[in-house]
Amino acid sequence: MQRAIEGKGIPTVSLTVALDVTEQCKPPRALFVPFMMGHHFGVPFHRELQRRIIRAALDCLIEARHSGEIQTIPVTWAQARQEGNRIERDATTALKSKK
Amino acid sequence: MAHSNDTANEGRQLRPGLWATINERYPGSMITKDDFVPLARLQKPLSETRLSFVSSAGVQPVGTLPFDVAHPVGDYSFRRVPSTATPAGLEIHQIKYPTHGALKDLNVIFPIERLQELAAEGVIGSLTPSFFSFIGYNMDPERFERTLAADIADAVAADGADAVLLSPA
Repeated sequence: MQRAIEGKGIPTVSLTVALDVTEQCKPPRALFVPFMMGHHFGVPFHRELQRRIIRAALDCLIEARHSGEIQTIPVTWAQARQEGNRIERDATTALKSKK
Repeated sequence: MAHSNDTANEGRQLRPGLWATINERYPGSMITKDDFVPLARLQKPLSETRLSFVSSAGVQPVGTLPFDVAHPVGDYSFRRVPSTATPAGLEIHQIKYPTHGALKDLNVIFPIERLQELAAEGVIGSLTPSFFSFIGYNMDPERFERTLAADIADAVAADGADAVLLSPA
């Protein structure tokens, strides 16, 4: 898919949570995030993390020099979940204190 | 193949050996390429770039024909998702990935609100009128390449995209 779009002269970047799969299908540019399947942009309600992932991926559009480059980002799933849980907990607390 | 930031801080793959596992379970379904396609270059700054988004998460506007998640060979069609849509107007028809996060906040797999924000702030120039969505269960890679990949590439180009962000699910 990504190779087909790049072939039209449109630069592309994809996210991946499966490094070995991406190495096999050789997309032009990719950002590897060590997250769970179905959670490529992070965890629910963590806007800052979701934005950070998108911006890191878009940076690959500018910075990648060779086809097939896979960039990484210094995040972990454990930390993302911790922060996400805190955000959800705080939201629940705020909601309760309003009532 | 370059791997940057190769430090202890770098997160590790949660499921190593995924390719081998899927290839064993569904022989012939995995895409393997031996060559790299030439890079197309971004012609303008990001703040002037019209970005599109392509996703295999099976996200579609409520009321459109649901993806066929039961077909043994897969569904090779795609849906347009207006880039102005809200999560409330979208639903997921795909069963091949964990959706517990996306059901709370669609942006974890289809970050439509974050892309709208980045465009409104001028980080991204603009968004294409449509985003493009399909399901990532396609057991015939040759057919996938010949039909769905080509169809979406045509549609993305017709929508005037200067660059495309893609995400599997």
